[in-house]
Amino acid sequence: MPASVIVKLFGLLALLLFLGSISSVRATTFDISAAHITKIGNGHVLNATINYPLTPRVKEALDNGIPIVFFQEFKLVDLTPLLGEYWQWEDTLWRTKISYELRYHALAQQYVLQDTATGKERFFPSLEGTLHALGQIQNLTLPPEHMVDNNHLLFQLRSGIDLYALPTPMRPGAIISSKWHLTSPWAAAQWH
Amino acid sequence: MGSCTVALGIIKRISSGTAPYFSLAALLLTLAYFLSAATQDSSKFNDLFLVIFGLGIATLLLLMAILGRSLFRLYRDFKSNQPGSRLTVRLVSLFVLLILVSTTVVYSFSMHFLHRGINSWFDIKVEQALNDSLELSRTAFGIRMRTLLRQTRMMAGLLNELPAQDVGHNLRELSKLSGAIELSLWTMDGQLITSSMESTAIFIPSRPSETIFHQLETQDAYISLDPDQDNLQLRAAVLLPTKQGIRQERFLQVIFPVNDRLSELGKTVQDAYTDYKELSYLRKPLISVFTLTLSLIVLLTLLASIWFAIWISRRIVEPLQALAAGTQSVASGNYDTQLDVSGHDEIGFLVRSFNQMTQRLTHARNATEQSHHLLEQQTNYLTTVLSSLSSGVITIDNKLFLRTANIASSKILHLNLQQRLESTIGRLSIQAPHLLGLTELIEQKTALGESWQQQIELQKKKAQQTLICRGTQLPNDTGWVIIFDDVTTLLQAQRNAAWGEVARRLAHEIKNPLTPIQLSAERLQHKYLPMLPADQSSTLTKLTNTIVQQVEAMKNMVNDFSDYARNPGLQLQIQPIGKLISEVLTLYQSNTSHQFILLKSPQEISLNIDSVRFRQILHNLLKNAIEASEDAHLVVDIIISYHMVIQDNTPWLEISIRDHGPGIPVSMENKLFEPYASNKTKGTGLGLAIVQKIVEEHGGHVWAENLLPTGASIIIRLPMEGATP
Repeated sequence: MPASVIVKLFGLLALLLFLGSISSVRATTFDISAAHITKIGNGHVLNATINYPLTPRVKEALDNGIPIVFFQEFKLVDLTPLLGEYWQWEDTLWRTKISYELRYHALAQQYVLQDTATGKERFFPSLEGTLHALGQIQNLTLPPEHMVDNNHLLFQLRSGIDLYALPTPMRPGAIISSKWHLTSPWAAAQWH
Repeated sequence: MGSCTVALGIIKRISSGTAPYFSLAALLLTLAYFLSAATQDSSKFNDLFLVIFGLGIATLLLLMAILGRSLFRLYRDFKSNQPGSRLTVRLVSLFVLLILVSTTVVYSFSMHFLHRGINSWFDIKVEQALNDSLELSRTAFGIRMRTLLRQTRMMAGLLNELPAQDVGHNLRELSKLSGAIELSLWTMDGQLITSSMESTAIFIPSRPSETIFHQLETQDAYISLDPDQDNLQLRAAVLLPTKQGIRQERFLQVIFPVNDRLSELGKTVQDAYTDYKELSYLRKPLISVFTLTLSLIVLLTLLASIWFAIWISRRIVEPLQALAAGTQSVASGNYDTQLDVSGHDEIGFLVRSFNQMTQRLTHARNATEQSHHLLEQQTNYLTTVLSSLSSGVITIDNKLFLRTANIASSKILHLNLQQRLESTIGRLSIQAPHLLGLTELIEQKTALGESWQQQIELQKKKAQQTLICRGTQLPNDTGWVIIFDDVTTLLQAQRNAAWGEVARRLAHEIKNPLTPIQLSAERLQHKYLPMLPADQSSTLTKLTNTIVQQVEAMKNMVNDFSDYARNPGLQLQIQPIGKLISEVLTLYQSNTSHQFILLKSPQEISLNIDSVRFRQILHNLLKNAIEASEDAHLVVDIIISYHMVIQDNTPWLEISIRDHGPGIPVSMENKLFEPYASNKTKGTGLGLAIVQKIVEEHGGHVWAENLLPTGASIIIRLPMEGATP
């Protein structure tokens, strides 16, 4: 018993050491299918749709009562072209992160989605419905002080699972496993 | 390359001295504490688990590098057979074996208890009970939910019957009657028609979720248990049947409270079920993390223990190594070796004993060296005294082996005795036959075992040498000391002095009456010659002439004696020898029947001599040679040569005068240069004696040799030290 565990652990150590190379063999990731910035009055709002295709490993953890924290990260970048469109100086003007905790309530048989900042909860009888609701960003108000000249502005967003919010025993395994690395690449929002 | 060197330098610095071991121990303890704390959920280090674990891995790698270096050094020392390396390897092996066995046992048991401990948290019965309690709770809530759904349907039906203006009022009534927290009437577009709250603090009802809208599109009712933060709530929604005048579909949403006790029990069941399920799900990762942590700590401890084992082994062996090196040093003659005393244990005692031993050895050696030095000083003193003596001093052992000889002995015997130490005196006589008389004398006298003294004549090729020898037995019968003096010169001087005195007296006593005799004879002739007849006058003339001639001859003889006796100081000057000889020869070249050949030296030689006395030498020798040839009626053919020769590493001027006369008679060979030793009818026999005297006054020597087939050669050697070639 201990021998097999030791072998396993050494394998795990080796994997830890080659973490960087492993990230290149990721499975499917979250996907930002649409992102639009619309001007309403004097302000700008973001509407976006994010698809959250969860891997069976994540679903299994969720079903077993492990709360999963999703984050949605937004940043506004000021682009200064130095060599046309090939080389641009990027200056991040604004950056924010919103986190949601998703857990399954066995007694109510509902999925609970909680905004970690406000503590506001929403309940869904199905996971699909929850993820759909999570993926719908509607009328997110953008900071007006930075939205003066949108010709050189780039608004980007991404979403993923906060692996460091997982229980400690799961963290090493999740960090080295591609089944937990579902963070979407940065996607640029369209200006309307 | 540079970073490699820096890394090696750091490893080297870290792995030397004692401080790193204590630092490492402290680091490992801290790390173990952090790792242990980080694995616990409640710990503040929980979030830093990966960082701490990474630190552990880094420490492990560093430790492996340090240990690798230490092991490599150990292997290198072992291969090169460094003193103490074998013992170190043996100790390290023993320590490592002990560490491995004990650590493996502890690790195995820890792993076993870890798995057993974690697995014991879970029980199938507990799991089943939890599942059942959850199912029970769901059933209980299901009954309640169905009841409330029926109640909501009734309320919806009632409201549907009421006119629109009475809905709000009746909603409040229904709310009071049903005990609902909140009643609200919504259109399917999400527009709030009216609502009633139990709490007066809340004005806006909670908006139905999308799920409710979706469900009501296909079904007429919706009921759910909402796990609100504080309490459970039941949310029911029922479509109101459409009726005339109402264009949009409406539905009633009612939120019922759950009994506090029931809510509390439900939450307890939920929490217990979720915790158990989570724990059950985390069982494998938990075991992995604990095993990983434990393994890391064990590995760190193991490597650190091995490193410490190497260090402690080296510490133990170090004094022994120093002792081994010290003994080797003593064996190679370095008695000053002192070792550092490392402690008060048995090894320290051994080191102290070694230091005492080397101190005593050093003292003994110093005393020996001092004695040796004193002996050497005495020997040098004796050697100096002996070397400054003009007498020859030699020592021989009882087997007649030559032990010591001073410089004067070599000079007197004309044989380098210093090079012939440890050889028998018999062997000396083989190498130098002229010493045969001396060696025989020594052999005879030492055999008698008494002190002795005797004069002995040594016959060399060129001259005779007179020695006075004394032999005395050394203390403790260890041999003999033989002292001898060359008295040849002394005896010669004594003889010369005696002859000089005789000559001086003869000259004084004879020369005075000679002149009156000569004058008287001449007066006789002068006075009585005219008076005598012719026949008698011739007789008188003959007789007086004879007297005059003989007196003249006697005068010459007396002058010669006077010359011999005279001992004026030498008037030394640098003179060219060739020129002097040529000048003298010129005087003899008037006689054409005489032949003289001068063989000059390749280089002109100048010598510090008294030119007048030197001319006298040449005159005497040439005269002697001419007379010898003429007396034998032989042709006068004389060859004179001069050149430089080396004798006993000393340059000499050698002048030889060779004639082709009858040679030196055998009876004259030994006394040729003695005064009044002549076989000639003419002369006083002082010519060669004067030559020898002058030559000896110049520090040289002269001898004669017969030539083959006929003739003789007189050879003069004068010292050239200070001469200019």
